[in-house]
Amino acid sequence: MLFFDQLRKNDAQLHWLGLMLGTGLALLLGGLWWVQIVGANRYQEMVEVQHYRTVRMPAARGQVLDRHQRILAENQPDYRINLYLEELSPAFREEYRRIRPRVVVTNELPIWKSWLGLPNVTTQFVRVQGAQLERQARFQVVHSVAERVSDILQTPVPLNASNFNYHYMHRRAMPFNLVSGLSPQLVARFEEKSSEGLEASVEMRGLRVYPYSNLTAQVVGFVRPDDRSAPGEDAYFSYRLPDYRGQIGIEGGLDQILRGRAGVKSVLVNSLLYRQNDTIWEPTLPGTNVVLTLDIELQRAATAALHQHIGVTGRGAVVVMEVHSGNILAMVSSPSYDPNRFTRRISHRDYQRILESTALRNRVTAEQYQAGSVFKLIVALAALETPAARFDPLEEYEVKANPATGRGIIWVGNHPFRDTVSPGLYNLERAIVKSSNAYFIALGLRPGVFERVIELGHRLHLGERFPADCLPLRQEAAGHFPSLEQIRKSSWQDGDTANICIGQGQMDVTPLQVAVMISAVANGGTVVMPRLVDRYIAPDSLAPTQITARGRIREQLGVSARHLKILHEAMLAETESPEGTGRYVQGCGYRVCGKTGTAELPVMREDGSGRKNTTWFGSFAPYAAPRFAVVIMVENGVSGGATCAPIAHDVYVALKAWETRNADDAPSVTAMVR
Amino acid sequence: MSFLSPSPAFGESTSRLDRLQLAAVLGLILLGLAFVFSATMISESALSQPLIKQLWFRQLFWYGVGGGAAVLLCLVDYHTWTRWGGFIYWVSIVTLVAVMLFGTVRGGARRWFDLGFVSLQPSELAKLAFVLALANFLSRPPDELRLPVNFWKALALMGLPVLLIMKEPDLGSALVFIPTGLAMMLVAGVPRRFLFRLLGAGSIVATLFLVDILFAPPHWQIKLEEYQRHRLLVYFGQDFAPPDATKEQKQRMAELRRQKSYQPNQALRAVGSGGFWGKGWRQGSQTALGFLPPGAAHTDFIFSVIAEEKGFIGSVMVLTLYGIVLFTGLRIADRARDRLGKVLAAGVVTLLFSHIFINIGMNIRLMPVTGIPLPLLSYGGSSVLASMIAIGMLQNVHLYRKGY
Repeated sequence: MLFFDQLRKNDAQLHWLGLMLGTGLALLLGGLWWVQIVGANRYQEMVEVQHYRTVRMPAARGQVLDRHQRILAENQPDYRINLYLEELSPAFREEYRRIRPRVVVTNELPIWKSWLGLPNVTTQFVRVQGAQLERQARFQVVHSVAERVSDILQTPVPLNASNFNYHYMHRRAMPFNLVSGLSPQLVARFEEKSSEGLEASVEMRGLRVYPYSNLTAQVVGFVRPDDRSAPGEDAYFSYRLPDYRGQIGIEGGLDQILRGRAGVKSVLVNSLLYRQNDTIWEPTLPGTNVVLTLDIELQRAATAALHQHIGVTGRGAVVVMEVHSGNILAMVSSPSYDPNRFTRRISHRDYQRILESTALRNRVTAEQYQAGSVFKLIVALAALETPAARFDPLEEYEVKANPATGRGIIWVGNHPFRDTVSPGLYNLERAIVKSSNAYFIALGLRPGVFERVIELGHRLHLGERFPADCLPLRQEAAGHFPSLEQIRKSSWQDGDTANICIGQGQMDVTPLQVAVMISAVANGGTVVMPRLVDRYIAPDSLAPTQITARGRIREQLGVSARHLKILHEAMLAETESPEGTGRYVQGCGYRVCGKTGTAELPVMREDGSGRKNTTWFGSFAPYAAPRFAVVIMVENGVSGGATCAPIAHDVYVALKAWETRNADDAPSVTAMVR
Repeated sequence: MSFLSPSPAFGESTSRLDRLQLAAVLGLILLGLAFVFSATMISESALSQPLIKQLWFRQLFWYGVGGGAAVLLCLVDYHTWTRWGGFIYWVSIVTLVAVMLFGTVRGGARRWFDLGFVSLQPSELAKLAFVLALANFLSRPPDELRLPVNFWKALALMGLPVLLIMKEPDLGSALVFIPTGLAMMLVAGVPRRFLFRLLGAGSIVATLFLVDILFAPPHWQIKLEEYQRHRLLVYFGQDFAPPDATKEQKQRMAELRRQKSYQPNQALRAVGSGGFWGKGWRQGSQTALGFLPPGAAHTDFIFSVIAEEKGFIGSVMVLTLYGIVLFTGLRIADRARDRLGKVLAAGVVTLLFSHIFINIGMNIRLMPVTGIPLPLLSYGGSSVLASMIAIGMLQNVHLYRKGY
């Protein structure tokens, strides 16, 4: 120490003093080193925590569109008026000062003070429990702003004190929402008059809306309010702005794409926790728009057709698919529900009601049924494709009579299988037209045929889900279909085989699987991938539109065209011959190849009245050059022919009209695809 | 006289001044202006106020007044001043009494005279008056200092203002007298055994006092102002609630404790978050966002502002400047013409050091929170005036060391 040495050596006292001062300064230096160097990170973190609040900002959710870019799901602006509390804080203080109680106090002054002529009367603030009064002051300020807003809007603005207090205590740095759901007219009125120093501002938030409501409910699905972090985002935020999470349907399956990427905003707050300013740390990335292959007009027509025949609450499904591309043009599941009800918080009772109506289930993809006679097509195909069976479609088979009913019957082992057709001679075409059980059971029991049936079933991927990217609905059932090992086991009985041959027993399918099956029969043996998503349109138009692969082939059936032709003829006869079970489809504008099905379910009630039939109509058209597969499924129908064929008729009529209309503006459609 | 020129440190014929000390003081003044500016000119509204209302400008004014007072002080030999020491001391005692009667109450303490445009804190000036009077008293022949009666008289001289200031209440300012008085007695040649005994007795009393405050059941405790007790409890990390308190009471006391430790905690965070380089002048977020309480950031907690914005570098700079002032002060004491000068200079140096140590210590939780300003840096007329006069007293001793 420079100065220290300069002190006279003999002055011990000053030396002592100098030593003490030096020690003191060194102590301070050490303390500062400890706090500022050693503890710097810790304190910087603490300071950051107390200065910043992070806010999760959801991105604008992508739209869901039909093939002609009609909007199936979008975000409608929800106009709201927000208050920024930091702008109101001076008013809070002023109001508090104003309402703070005061009393006039007369003091007993000491003599010398009164002698000096000091006043002995003063006003003093009363000691009060400040928090209560401050709360009151704040509420009064906000209340008066609400009243002014209400005057401008000429609508009542309800204000709940406990809501406001909660917001003040927990979300002070965020704007307080005064009114929401304003119409554009009201917003205009507010903007016009709000220039006069009102501390409120209009903001917009996207409200998820499904304009076609229950027409597209199962396909598009719905979202629910959910502001949690998506995978890959920061887990912790101080505040979260409301967001949606897709639950089921396209909204659920493509949630990640539609959602975009949430942004992060940091709000700098001051010591009173009011907002000082905002910084966007990570901008939001809007969600991608999804264009479906669906056509909303066809969807509407198919829904109308279904509802006309089975009623709005009837349980059934319609699927219309292009047989070559797998494009799904309509996918109807009934009953349906209004997905808009989920976008605000749905009440438990309403949710229960929707749940009980089973409307949430997409019957096209997520429910599995006994296929019934529709599956006989595959049995026939297998028999034709099995040389060992020596099957001639023209050869006649005699259906034995059931003495009890006068109808046909076949005995497999010692178990009788009833037939609905009358006994007599049947060739393939007649067996299909009349849908004889005995004929196909006998066919399936011929050597080699059943293994072939199972193999074709596997090629059709029955009992399997579709690849996830092809059906992003989060609602899918795999169905059931026996494996080759299973049927080769000794436990597999001829009775089991017989059941499969008429589409019952140990197999279940979804209507969409049936549509793929029908398409394969129609298009010459190609098992296509159903295609529901046509393309993704990036939010900023600069990024390229991403078209999903078209006409993806899952498998080839490997059957001969000649055999398919035989099947087509028989299916045409089914709808065109006067005794065909599918004759009600006639007159729809196409020559339709079809196959009805009526799968009998076990009797539900003891008196037999609750007999449940799953009724089907699987079809394609036009006969000469198949383009469309139409599959109708109705739960608890009478029979495929009586219940489903008329529905198919109406769908084909709509399809015909749609095709004619599209032929006119076909070029524009292709132009839109880019 | 030539040193009436505005900057006596660099005048032609000022070689008799301690220029190094003056340079350090000038450095502190500049720092003080810069950081009072930074701590107060936070909002737009503060920037748009007239100059006369801006605090940094007022501070500049007080530096000017203080500098002028220091220059006037230097016109007269310190011997003359100390001869008036007793008188000045009693005047200051009278002002201390007066402030208790007529002073303005702020934050529960009656410490200020409100003169309208400025307010004065007489305890600041009483400290200097005390140093002057004690130096005068202790300058008697060493033989007399060995008499216990004189030791007791010196203690009484110290005790009177201490009691008065404690009564204001301003415990921190009162405590500053004790090390100052002791150091002066030590330097003056009061027998050390007296001092050791006093120190011993003092520390026993202080320990008992603290034990009483911290651990004794409520009705056994010495009456302190509630906030003083709380500050001590916070400093020693004690719970506010007595051990037999109900749960609800404990909760309320915990909340109170949180409130009471808010200020020292935030100061510590400000200092700590400055890190090595600091956040930059006027970039201190703790200050700007009001976490350092706006009323205290530019006064008692000005060091936190400097430490936050200039980091460890800034802290070291402040300590270095103070070190220069203190050790040049000791050098002045050493070279003083007589024992009077030596004791006077040592007193002033110890007074300054006590302020510095307590204030900076409070910013880093080395010391409990007391309302003690940082000499030359903290905003405040009385403090600046007193600090400048203190420097003037040191320079006076230096100036008249040769007796020419």
